[in-house]
Amino acid sequence: MSLREMDLNQDPACATQSLSNYLPKDHPDENKWADCVHCGMCLESCPTYEITGQEQHSPRGRVHLIKSVAEGKLELNQFFSEPVFACLDCRACTTACPADVDVGGLIEEARGQVRQAIPLTGWQGAVSKLFLKGIFPKQTRLNKLGGLLKFYQKSGMQTAVRKTGLIKIMPDHLVEMESIMPEIKQPVREKYKNQTVIPAKGETKQEVAFLTGCIMDVMFSDINEATINVLTRNGNEVTIPKNQGCCGALHVHAGDRDTGRKLAKQNIEAFKDADKVIVNAAGCGCMLKEYPELFPDEPEWHEKAEEFSKKVEDISKHLHDTGYEKPKAEINKRITYHDACHLAHGQGIRQEPRDILLDIPGVEMVHMPNSDRCCGSAGIYNITNPEMAGAVLENKMANVPDDVEMISMGNPGCMLQMAIGVQKYGRNQQIVHTVQLLDWAYQKEDGKGDL
Amino acid sequence: MAAVKAIKSKDKHIQQLAAIVGGGRSILYQKEDLLAYDCDGFTIHKHLPKAVVFPKDTQEVAALVKYCHEHDLPFLARGAGTGLSGGAIPLNEEVIISMVRMKRLLSVDMENRRAVVEPGFVNLKLTNSISDKGYYYAPDPSSQYCCTIGGNVAENAGGAHCLKYGVTTNHILGLEVVMPNGDIIEIGKDGVADEPGYDLLGLITGSEGTLGIVTKIVVRILKNPEAKQTVLAYFDKVSDGSQAVSDIISSGIVPAALEMMDKTAIEGVEAAAFPVGHPKDIDAVLLIEVDGISAGIDEQIDEILKVCRNRNVREVKVAQDEAERGRWWANRKTGFGAMGAISPDYLVQDGVIPRSKLPVVLDRINQISNESGLRIANIFHAGDGNLHPLVLFDARVPGEIEKALEAGSACLKVCADVGGTITGEHGVGIEKREEMRFVFTEEEIAAQTDVREVFNPKNLLNAGKLFPSPGRCVEVKKEMKASVTS
Repeated sequence: MSLREMDLNQDPACATQSLSNYLPKDHPDENKWADCVHCGMCLESCPTYEITGQEQHSPRGRVHLIKSVAEGKLELNQFFSEPVFACLDCRACTTACPADVDVGGLIEEARGQVRQAIPLTGWQGAVSKLFLKGIFPKQTRLNKLGGLLKFYQKSGMQTAVRKTGLIKIMPDHLVEMESIMPEIKQPVREKYKNQTVIPAKGETKQEVAFLTGCIMDVMFSDINEATINVLTRNGNEVTIPKNQGCCGALHVHAGDRDTGRKLAKQNIEAFKDADKVIVNAAGCGCMLKEYPELFPDEPEWHEKAEEFSKKVEDISKHLHDTGYEKPKAEINKRITYHDACHLAHGQGIRQEPRDILLDIPGVEMVHMPNSDRCCGSAGIYNITNPEMAGAVLENKMANVPDDVEMISMGNPGCMLQMAIGVQKYGRNQQIVHTVQLLDWAYQKEDGKGDL
Repeated sequence: MAAVKAIKSKDKHIQQLAAIVGGGRSILYQKEDLLAYDCDGFTIHKHLPKAVVFPKDTQEVAALVKYCHEHDLPFLARGAGTGLSGGAIPLNEEVIISMVRMKRLLSVDMENRRAVVEPGFVNLKLTNSISDKGYYYAPDPSSQYCCTIGGNVAENAGGAHCLKYGVTTNHILGLEVVMPNGDIIEIGKDGVADEPGYDLLGLITGSEGTLGIVTKIVVRILKNPEAKQTVLAYFDKVSDGSQAVSDIISSGIVPAALEMMDKTAIEGVEAAAFPVGHPKDIDAVLLIEVDGISAGIDEQIDEILKVCRNRNVREVKVAQDEAERGRWWANRKTGFGAMGAISPDYLVQDGVIPRSKLPVVLDRINQISNESGLRIANIFHAGDGNLHPLVLFDARVPGEIEKALEAGSACLKVCADVGGTITGEHGVGIEKREEMRFVFTEEEIAAQTDVREVFNPKNLLNAGKLFPSPGRCVEVKKEMKASVTS
């Protein structure tokens, strides 16, 4: 028997061999996997392959499985679901890939299929429904949750939970999260709810619209505040469109593409009058730029999404391209920079934030090896896959130089995760957003602030 | 042995193998989990293994091999699975012994310029681990970002810089090998090269995983060259480009690397992730690197520029800094994967030809391309005559796989016919085993399988690789024996 005959005589891995095991709606794009020639150049870029050493947890392995479902060799079952959901969606493989295979896009499409085929049930389903459908898409509920967290911190409940040992019955990763939760302040969307246009200080050079984000605005409203300060100080008139919502990244990552589409439409409409949409969260920025991917079957929305995505800009890139005042006050700190995956791999933004940091007098930049390696936050991955996320974080922390005082980055998810890392491994670095540092330098120059 | 985590299989072999490696995540055995292991970098033939096991040390490898040997289970070793000739494809439902968790750098001995690594250690990581001290590991296959040194030993991997520095076998000082019956042996004493007796290191290196499983490797490390210069040259005619290659070598210069890409290859790399702006209408680009002590480098570069100009080069430039040099190399080294940008699948061949025959060979390959209706790109380690025709095809189109295989084989025939051979660095694997007949007689092949039998008498280890299907060979051997006895 020839080799080819041997190949063709094999049984498929699954009993059923139909042409494709995908459901008809919204299936992974064949042209995306057709680019992959299985060369393996992606392997070492993948944090989950680094940890497991297993092909099905590597980018090309996942693409191979996605293709196998289309070839009828694999069904939409847990063997497919596990590797596809264990992906951090960090996109490091897209940077490494010689053929520009859109692994991230494929993974998200595959997750959509898995969730159509196997809806989450029980506890997982309830939690997912509560957060992804009940809270994140609805700003008022999100603010209420923020209010509750704030109450938890201020009322003495936090102290009580920690002291009474109640905390001991929480899962480890939630304990870690609880312990690093930043102090909750007033979200900027509440603060500016009656003033949707914030004028530039001095001459208006351009008008920009600002996506406040959901986690960002609840957990890190001070960073949003800093972003507005930095923008207005540099001649930007800032609009905060009222009807904007969550960007939908968490939904799309979780395979809930329908809610993702709903939110995308909402934001496309909310920002339709804007020329530029400024984002300070890498994950959100990346998602907004990828809205067209969500509408392969709705040409009208696809076109609108294309137009919208061109307007989206990360704050660091915007400042870099349109110019900003170099601060005069010194911040004498040793700082290292962590590349958020969705900035570096997702949007190709690497040098701009570093340049901003270098423009602050007194800042000493220290190189972090493998700075564009995922920290394990990956949206809500650290909640859904705590074990893998912990292993990824451990590798990340090993690369953080010992003698730095701050770790700067451009994504709220990373900030929470890196804060967990600092605490867990007994380090003492302060976690900051790049824009926050620039704002602190301005504040100091103006005689405010205490850095 | 670690505590064994429960597994679901009722197969007693799976249970025993699981027990050796501790179960849990150290073994894959369900069909769906094995799918990602049905091929390596050579994707035309796909076969599921029986199981994949992930040993953590030599003892576990030896125990696994011993078990397979005693129970007649076919088995093979796999590294990163980036091989291009199918050496790690489980044709016979093998138990795959994955070496990727044995990935430590065990020691570095600067004074004696050697390092000891486990087989799963990634090639480029060795250089990255010692570069701050001024050392590097020379063999640099294009897949060095992710391929393992164990795999490099199995395939005797080459690379762009092997023109001056030699292939993997020239850099191996010692090996620890698990033999096909589970015995552990060491070859090479404390990393001293050239032990008396037969050159077993040379035999094992490049044996494509058919003689034993390497579990520890002593490699030579080199001091970084004092200086390095890189040149890019564009030619309107392939013949001018290849003449320039010959002229450079005849001028007495030994470049560290001398690479060529043809028009279709250029189209691929420029459409992919690491374009550098090669003109689209040229027929050949040369990437030339010289290195060594600083004195004399500039003169060599001047000579190379002169040679290129004499051969009607359209444009020639010297890399201005390390960043530019890095971009040129990234463009070249991702050349194979880049084909994904212009074709859904490719089959890469690995012929070696006398340099002077390049224009003729490229013409014939062009003919093959026209006849088959498939595009063929050429990436060429021009300095050492190692040609990589990349046959572009679409596996989804019925019949194209067969056409691609035929075209690939025809390319190798051309190489053999002009006095070359069928593989320079990718190995024979399953891909080129029939083509072994282009360069060896049945008797010569039988002599080689006799060698295999000494090491691997049951032929359980990576059977069906490297040599043509046994039927005819066995007959030949019988005839030979008959002729000897009569």
